[in-house]
Amino acid sequence: MKKTSGYIKDTLITIILLCMAFGISLLFQYIFEVQEHITTIFVFAVFLISLLTNGYVYGILASFCGTIVVNYAFTFPFFAVNFLIPINLISGIIMIIVSVLTSALTTKLKRHEAMKAESEKECMRANLLRAVSHDLRTPLTTIYGSSTTLLDKCSDMTEAQKNKIVEGIKEDSEWLMRMVENLLSITRIDSGEVKIIKTPTVLEELIDSVVLKFKKRYPGQKVEIEIPDEMVIVPMDAILIEQVIVNILENAVQHAEGMTRLTLRVFTLGSQAIFEIKDNGCGIDPKRLETIFSGYYASKDDFTDSQKRNAGIGLSVCATIIKAHCGDIKAENIKTGGAVFRFALDTEGNINDQE
Amino acid sequence: MIKNKYKILLVEDESNIRNLVATMLETSGYQALIAESCSAAKTVYNSYLPDLIILDLGLPDMDGMHFLEYVRRDSPTPIIVLSARSTEKDKVTALDMGANDYVTKPFSSAELLARVRSVLRSNRYSSVEGRLPGGRFTLRDLEIDYDARQVFISGAEIKLTQTEYNIIALLSENCGKMMTYSAIIKAIWGGCAQDGSIKKLQVNMANIRKKFGAKLGESNYIINELGVGYRMNAERE
Repeated sequence: MKKTSGYIKDTLITIILLCMAFGISLLFQYIFEVQEHITTIFVFAVFLISLLTNGYVYGILASFCGTIVVNYAFTFPFFAVNFLIPINLISGIIMIIVSVLTSALTTKLKRHEAMKAESEKECMRANLLRAVSHDLRTPLTTIYGSSTTLLDKCSDMTEAQKNKIVEGIKEDSEWLMRMVENLLSITRIDSGEVKIIKTPTVLEELIDSVVLKFKKRYPGQKVEIEIPDEMVIVPMDAILIEQVIVNILENAVQHAEGMTRLTLRVFTLGSQAIFEIKDNGCGIDPKRLETIFSGYYASKDDFTDSQKRNAGIGLSVCATIIKAHCGDIKAENIKTGGAVFRFALDTEGNINDQE
Repeated sequence: MIKNKYKILLVEDESNIRNLVATMLETSGYQALIAESCSAAKTVYNSYLPDLIILDLGLPDMDGMHFLEYVRRDSPTPIIVLSARSTEKDKVTALDMGANDYVTKPFSSAELLARVRSVLRSNRYSSVEGRLPGGRFTLRDLEIDYDARQVFISGAEIKLTQTEYNIIALLSENCGKMMTYSAIIKAIWGGCAQDGSIKKLQVNMANIRKKFGAKLGESNYIINELGVGYRMNAERE
């Protein structure tokens, strides 16, 4: 669809510019009664067309049209196409050369820009990959070390020791699972250039699924839920948004020290659904607030082992997902203590009147 | 003793996962039959006629879906798909092909065993009492009288519309089985699933939840799987 509209736009640009050139030429001829500059006007039009359209086709077509029009209407013999006069032929060739050169130049420029964007993305991906591989080592050490210890020294250990080691395996594999889920979410966005596929999702079902998932991981942590009574439908990639909310809740459990209340609130404001996750813990260090969503990608080589588990990939993934939904995500501290994360998605409006 | 055990066929090519699941099943009192490929699975299936099949989709000789199709040609033997493929599309495809449930890797033993129990139990429902006219369906506090078309929770009747009742009856008859949107829509309204009819189903489900007094995240009776469908839950997970 985007392609067709591009073709239509380019064709329109070509036609309009050619018409303008023709009109101005007529005016010149009428007012100043000179013909020497008409070729220049058409060359300029061809130059603009090559600059503003995609590829070579439009520019070359325009230069052909221009050559024929100039030849037909503005040069001797008037109102007849005659290429036998060398000066006409030369001006035609000049126009074609200008068009080809301009098109080549702009195409090159556009390609260069695309490459630059691609290399930035590539750089981000490399950073991510490096950080992830680094992060994967620690849990793997636990799992590998624990299982080999269990195999070798099983008879020398007490029940309690064994339990502790197996518990470690479980915890670290859970961490790995979350990491992989987050990575999968990113590939879900990155695969192809297509935007994410949004399906109408019932808010209540989304929240139900989120809470169920969260409860399974943190059975001890209560989450207070507030959502509108009426049925709200939000077009989204439900699996990804689910990941966002779970990540933010998880982040609160892990970092909001002293938290006693964790609230997930969703309300509608105009045509938007606002998702709000609030805790009353220690809040976020103001220094980190700015980079909290980009921290993971941006990290160069300065991360140390102790930072590892704090940084986490979760919030960066949240930002990527919300961005892909054309939304905005923000984190701020509450004056009375604690932090709040907020993001908004467009709703589909109230559907009760449709039935 | 051994005769009374449920026979479960496990089709999985990864030897570590195979050992793990087989141990999980055996320690829970099931008899585990093992196959490493599609062709081996067919042989074991034909000679032992298992009560349940746990099927991995990525097999060395053929895609697991072939085996799923093969079994579904002439048998309702419950099948739980166990797979690393986790998109909604993969799930819907397998479920619409006749799988009873879909568990994504990685899974915990509790999760898999709950699904196994749920599917085995639901199979008993549909083959013995559930579908018979005049039958009654009970699941914890939920009771359905198929003859009178009435639904009770803890003895109190829940007033449902025709459509809502039909949905509940359908889910209960397939208790433990994940029903995709399109399967439910086909059974209730006929025809195929378009965006409009999915919305109609979602509105009905929202009303049912309200009438049932379901609390968010408490997995009472009906589980919703985003973008896939609904399942009446025989086991509390």
